[in-house]
Amino acid sequence: MKTLQRALPWLVLIIALLYSGQKVVDSDSIPSRFDLDTFREIPVSASGRTKPLDTVARNSLMNLSGRQSIRTEDGEKISAVEWYLELITQPEQSVQRRVFRIDHPDVLALLGLDSEKRTRFSFAEIRPAGTEINRQANLASKLKAKARDPFQRAILVLNQRLMLFSELSQLQRPYLVPPLTVGDDWRSFVTVLNENPMDQDARMLLKMLQSYRDNDAEAFNAELEKFVALVDSQVPYDARKARYEVVFNHVQPFITASALYLIAFLLGCFGLLSSQLSKPDWSTALLGSMTNAIIVAFIVQTIGIASRVYLQGRPPVTNLYSSAIFIGWFSIIIGLIIDRQMKLGLGGIMASVIGFGTLIVAHNLGSSGDTMEMMQAVLDTNFWLATHVVVVTIGYSATFFAGFLATAYVLLGVFTRVLDRERGKSLTKMVYAVICFATVTSFVGTVLGGIWADQSWGRFWGWDAKENGAALIVFMNLLILHARWGGMIKDRGLAVLAISGNIITAWSWFGTNMLGVGLHSYGFTQSAVFWIAVFVLIQLTLMGIGLIPLSFWRSKFARADAAQGLIVDSK
Amino acid sequence: MIKKILKPWASLKLTVVIFALSIFLIFAGTLAQVNSGIWTVVDEYFRSVMVTIPLQIFVPRDIANIPGAIWFPGGLTLGVLMFINLIAAHVVRFKFAKKRIGIIITHFGIILLLVGEFITGYAAQEGNLTILEGQTVNFVEDVRASELSVTDQSAPDDDRVVVVPDRFLETGKTITNGLLPFNIKITEWMPNSQMLGPAQAPPSRKGLADSGMAKDLAALPLPRANGVDGATVDAPSAYVTLYNGEQRLGSFLLSVYIDQPQRVVVDGRPYLIQVRFKRTYKPYSMRLIDFKHDLFTGTQMARNYSSLVQLVDEERNVDREVLIYMNHPLRHAGETFYQASFLRGDTGTVLQVVKNPGWLIPYISSSLVALGMLIHFGIRLVPALRRSSK
Repeated sequence: MKTLQRALPWLVLIIALLYSGQKVVDSDSIPSRFDLDTFREIPVSASGRTKPLDTVARNSLMNLSGRQSIRTEDGEKISAVEWYLELITQPEQSVQRRVFRIDHPDVLALLGLDSEKRTRFSFAEIRPAGTEINRQANLASKLKAKARDPFQRAILVLNQRLMLFSELSQLQRPYLVPPLTVGDDWRSFVTVLNENPMDQDARMLLKMLQSYRDNDAEAFNAELEKFVALVDSQVPYDARKARYEVVFNHVQPFITASALYLIAFLLGCFGLLSSQLSKPDWSTALLGSMTNAIIVAFIVQTIGIASRVYLQGRPPVTNLYSSAIFIGWFSIIIGLIIDRQMKLGLGGIMASVIGFGTLIVAHNLGSSGDTMEMMQAVLDTNFWLATHVVVVTIGYSATFFAGFLATAYVLLGVFTRVLDRERGKSLTKMVYAVICFATVTSFVGTVLGGIWADQSWGRFWGWDAKENGAALIVFMNLLILHARWGGMIKDRGLAVLAISGNIITAWSWFGTNMLGVGLHSYGFTQSAVFWIAVFVLIQLTLMGIGLIPLSFWRSKFARADAAQGLIVDSK
Repeated sequence: MIKKILKPWASLKLTVVIFALSIFLIFAGTLAQVNSGIWTVVDEYFRSVMVTIPLQIFVPRDIANIPGAIWFPGGLTLGVLMFINLIAAHVVRFKFAKKRIGIIITHFGIILLLVGEFITGYAAQEGNLTILEGQTVNFVEDVRASELSVTDQSAPDDDRVVVVPDRFLETGKTITNGLLPFNIKITEWMPNSQMLGPAQAPPSRKGLADSGMAKDLAALPLPRANGVDGATVDAPSAYVTLYNGEQRLGSFLLSVYIDQPQRVVVDGRPYLIQVRFKRTYKPYSMRLIDFKHDLFTGTQMARNYSSLVQLVDEERNVDREVLIYMNHPLRHAGETFYQASFLRGDTGTVLQVVKNPGWLIPYISSSLVALGMLIHFGIRLVPALRRSSK
């Protein structure tokens, strides 16, 4: 028994490392006579960024169907890049592929497909209703985004997907022709061939595509080899990055990390449970295992973030997607520090909850396309992205962490006997410390934003929605601190107010974007509204639980405090 | 004595209440931006003594119509309260101790920040410099105000310009002044308007002007812009009739939509008349050499906007080329010039010109606050954490 307890953390560490490493080692080579593994590494230019064809194919397929590969009716798997090649060389086959995901029943009825028991349809099935889709999309696009009903939104999504499909199949995007022997920027394949049918760079690609269509693998591979050699010598930096990105696409570090956080969370919960069941050795073993799982996940996530920084040439936070990943990442740091201070394991448990949660949020935000898109001109500055955005995001992270620790305080205090007087005190101290840290970072981050605004349009403070959101976080943290210093709240009050910090942070992070006003109103999603509402309701419930009179709390420290309070009152 | 008066104002409870009220005000002021323009909101919520907050802003209109509103202290009130609270706290409880130095620095920074925002609110001026490529401009326009100008070009070296600010322009009023070569009867003054071509104008609005180059156009009054649907600027127009004594010179349509001033001849001397955004002439001039609007390859997404201008200021012996682009403004003569917008077809640039005597204050004050917080939490928190880990 003792040996197992001692070995468990090591065992978890090794398994976690193997699990993470396996994805890298594991080949995802495409079985084909054509050298598609090399083909998908070809850099192209899309949405203002050079990226491998693999990314274009995966993102496009993701956008159309919500998946990164297709399964045919006979269960055969077709990779994204094969699907893309078929789309541009064999249109008669590709229109039969069921790649359009359609869920809305009225849209299906409009297409006459409502009797089908599936959610993915082929272009050939949709085509007959093309004019009607167009008409409906026109009607819907005349309304403001907020005024559209679900059917209209679904029609617009379908219309946008049809446009993407046709632009891809007609080779209008991405820009396929690299600056090899002609020019110095990527060019559109069709435009080049229309203007100059003898253009050398485009002709190499043309030959490749023709031999693919003619099923001539030898010619394809030979032409590809020549092309890639030229790409390597003319645009070596883009070629290197594209290769790296293909590996990054395959490894999907954030998915690995989220699985590990989930495991860490479970280990942590069992650790707490054993401590409640008075099995301290098991508790130590399980909590140690949790920490090890978190450390491995953290390393994986760090590599993921570093890869994005390298690929994008930008600081880590550039959009909502990356802010979610960064918030989770920084929470892990806070959690690990807290666990060093307080041996209860709560830092790790809460860190894994936030780590897992934010990665899920990021996954959903990223499902509609490229998560490394280019930024509007005013955001095009690495200095401010690296300072203001990163520090503000750390402020979000810390405020969330304080709120989650406070949640642990309330839940453990009310429902378990885990918290004794000493643990209760030290947990409160941690919540307090994290709030102090959050105050500093959110203030500094907000002010840096003000300086950026002053630098770019001469207004330090413009009362813009997102600025106000950041200010709300600062004010909330200041309110908590001053209330504490003034003796208006004690440990429990601190916890309840810290939980309300979660609501304010969620509002500031997401809510302000939903208003559709101001300079920062990017990345609005309908379903996000629902989830934010759920999150807020949960926090309100937790605050309500926290307000239950201390005499009903199961943890003894609380009852002692309540009793004390009675004595004080009766004096 | 002073301490006695200040004592009730020094309470931490008051601080917490101010924070709570501020949180609500900022939240409401953010929601209000959905239906009103940001400048309306800033004036009504954040720079006011009192604000009436309509309850409707908390509930989307398509869910329910909520009548009624609540009174609430405005940003000015809360700012002043916070100011008094801070000063009082330090006067009443002032003790110079090493462990309080962080708090003192922080609070001093906050006081300065409040003062800075106050100065900005009252003293900052913003305007626009709109320049076509090749054009030289020596005035800044304030698009939140307009004026009627009459220019006498008869002197060989100088133009004599007389302007009537928009606060004197009212429907039905006649403007008579010794400086003006004619009397101006304002038939209709439209603080905000839209301009219709000959084919679009409804019959009732046709023929209201019989002279000048805009007589075939028609202006329709619009409600004042409040920021909804992206319209944040009022575009005023006016129908005026000019009289030289008893002699009627003609009726004109004047508008900020019409770039060129219109010609009126009085006793053989030509004058130019125009309704335009309020101009402030400057001792410097700018010529737009080139405006660039770069896109990301294969997209319609802007990568950069930049204006190459020739800045000439004889008073300061300046004559040089300057490139103004996103995040890289020009600071000159106490003013700052930002790349703000551009004219259709990339034919010209719009620079935002800001004069804010208090622009440095936020930099200083926020550095102080940050420094103070670091010292305070550094002194108090780090040892506490160290103790708890032992």
